[in-house]
Amino acid sequence: MSAWRSAVVIALAAIAGCREQLTTPGRCPALCPSSKVQLADTLLATADVADTSVRGYVLVREASYLLTSTLDSLQSVALIRFSARDSVWYPSTSDTAYIGTQDSVVLSLQILQRDTSIKQLRLLVYRIPAMFDTGATYASIQPFFVASNLVDTIAIADTAHAGDYTFRIADSLAIPPADSGVVSFGLALLGAGKTALTLGSGNLGTSAPILSYYVHPRLPDTTAKVISVEPFISLFVMSPPPGQPPPGVLAIGGMPTARATLRLSLPKVVVDSNTVVRATLLLNTSAAAGGFARDSFYIIAQPVVRDYGVKSVLWSDSGVSGTVLIHQGQSGPVALDMAPILRFWGTTVGDSTPRLVVLRVYPEGSILGSASFAGRAAGAAGPQLQVTYVKPYTFGVP
Amino acid sequence: MRSSAAVLAIVVAVVVAPGAAAQDSVFGIRGLGFLDRSVSAKSAALGGGFALFDPASALNPAALAAWHATSGWAVASGSNRSFDTGAGTSSLSATRFPLIGFAGVIGSRVVVAVTASDYLDRNWSVQQTNTDTLRGSPVAVTDNTRSLGGVTDVRVAMAYRFTGLTFGVGLHVLTGSTETTVNRQFPNDSSYLPFAEQQATAYSGAGISFGALANPLHGLVVGASVRFNGRLRAASPDTAASFPMPVEWNAGAYYQPVAGVTFTGSVGYAGWGRAAAALVADSQVPSRGVWNVGFGVEAVVLHLGRAPLPLRLGYRWRQLPFPIWGSPLSEHAVTGGLGFDTAGGRATVDLGLESGSRAAGGLSEGFVTAYLGLTIHP
Repeated sequence: MSAWRSAVVIALAAIAGCREQLTTPGRCPALCPSSKVQLADTLLATADVADTSVRGYVLVREASYLLTSTLDSLQSVALIRFSARDSVWYPSTSDTAYIGTQDSVVLSLQILQRDTSIKQLRLLVYRIPAMFDTGATYASIQPFFVASNLVDTIAIADTAHAGDYTFRIADSLAIPPADSGVVSFGLALLGAGKTALTLGSGNLGTSAPILSYYVHPRLPDTTAKVISVEPFISLFVMSPPPGQPPPGVLAIGGMPTARATLRLSLPKVVVDSNTVVRATLLLNTSAAAGGFARDSFYIIAQPVVRDYGVKSVLWSDSGVSGTVLIHQGQSGPVALDMAPILRFWGTTVGDSTPRLVVLRVYPEGSILGSASFAGRAAGAAGPQLQVTYVKPYTFGVP
Repeated sequence: MRSSAAVLAIVVAVVVAPGAAAQDSVFGIRGLGFLDRSVSAKSAALGGGFALFDPASALNPAALAAWHATSGWAVASGSNRSFDTGAGTSSLSATRFPLIGFAGVIGSRVVVAVTASDYLDRNWSVQQTNTDTLRGSPVAVTDNTRSLGGVTDVRVAMAYRFTGLTFGVGLHVLTGSTETTVNRQFPNDSSYLPFAEQQATAYSGAGISFGALANPLHGLVVGASVRFNGRLRAASPDTAASFPMPVEWNAGAYYQPVAGVTFTGSVGYAGWGRAAAALVADSQVPSRGVWNVGFGVEAVVLHLGRAPLPLRLGYRWRQLPFPIWGSPLSEHAVTGGLGFDTAGGRATVDLGLESGSRAAGGLSEGFVTAYLGLTIHP
């Protein structure tokens, strides 16, 4: 009998376990809240009270790619300096092998981007002075891109897309004693048409160029040892050389990369951590977007934490940002999401930060793309901010 | 050992109960909320007619005199509801913990007790879908408005026994809070961020109740109670308001013609019309005075071993004070249940079940509520 009682109680307790379903479809007006969510939309045509654009945030030597190009609008060659390889290796903890002979040298490159519509691509590998001037220009480096310095011509298959490629460039590579084992190459692009190609740079980790030496010890040995060397310096030089953006233009991206900074003046009602449901920065391009043909890239807007001019510190939380996808050749109006930033400015943390927003390409230093927009000096064509927000909601009591 | 399992089961049920309200209703969205009934599982099974004589219900302080030893009690309830809008039906459910109390006996005539029970339930959630025109384009929006919480009645009461007559008095404190949340989402357009905002409202008030029970004839007990309430103050960070609360009258009888059979019934009136003017000033529909009637019968026709197993049946009807868009709201239910002692008589388990509906205009809500009550005399 007691077992029966316990069973009843336990069963009822189980029935009474945590269940909760309170939501009903609203049947208005009888069973709907007396207050309603009301939205307002406003266009702030003069929200941009100051703007500027500066180039040089990521330098060529800091980029993750090496650009080679034969385009009329941009010509470029890549320069790579490899440090000296080791003269010994250690087959075991108690053994040292001294290098006697070198039977071949292999250059490994990773192709990042190419225009597959242009066929018969070839990379011409030139020996350039081992300690070439890292401040060299496209013009100053040209005297070394001559037939007498040509090491090898690397044919790139028409079917080759992005990926790792290894090229045997020489049986041997004589390095003058004065260079202390350091060797530098210049890479120039040729193709059936004018085109561009990017390679992984020395800043791209496992995708960096690698120079591999196949060597043998002094003692007779048939086993070849591979000693790989990564670049000490890798960069590229361009013609025409990039300059600072002209006044009134908000330039973004390119290499060295440019950023645009906008100072906004906003009414309090559109700066709120909660009520802003959509905010759009409306921009108009001042020139067609640059970059690889048929390529696209992102522009990201981020708020500034501390205003130090061109060296302002950005808020790094990816959730407090807005992005827009730009296609190469795109022109006309562009809408950039700003709602997370306006919400951030309405938080306790964001309230004390300046109303500054920085536009840059993403990820910066890895993208060839560039865009330019009309600044506030362009008047009606300049940046405008459209904000949709919730009007103050009246809960009332009870 | 098995009794311990029963107690443990109840404790588990109580612990997992998410809130403290007897029974939710979609109609709680109007006025001050949904009027709760502070009755035990036994009284619920008897249609509420026994509440005036039930020491475990919080209706009549004089009823506390029925305790002859230190006692503690608690009620858990689970309900399933079906809300019919006329255009469709939605299923709802909730688990609550509506009543808890503790009583002690002083000498041979005085009983004091503390109870906490639900008074106004404000648990509801409404979802609306619509299309808004934003930036010149239609955008689908979904609004969820949700209220959680309510007003709790905390009573400190005392009963005094005379021969054939019992008096009681109770001091009531109304307390509690609600958290109202409004949320708008844009399900088909990710370019819009969701909006959510919430507000907490605190409630406070006071009241006093008096009750009496008399035994004029053998087997007959009559009782009455009256409760005077002050104003219920509702305060949020931005605003505050207060509402006059009703005077509540209840009277009833308990008759046991033969051993093992009892009939109970009661009738009550609450003058909620007092709050009408304040509600109108708050842009709400005026409230009204409401009646309630309940009666039931208990018969011991079964035994589990040597222990009696009383079976209970009842019916109740009541009006509710807050009309739904001009339509008066009322509910009725048939009830039933049983009870048994366990743990060597130190504990009593009561089970109750209600099945009924409430309706206003073209809207109706059916409900089935299960009650589980545990009384312990340590």
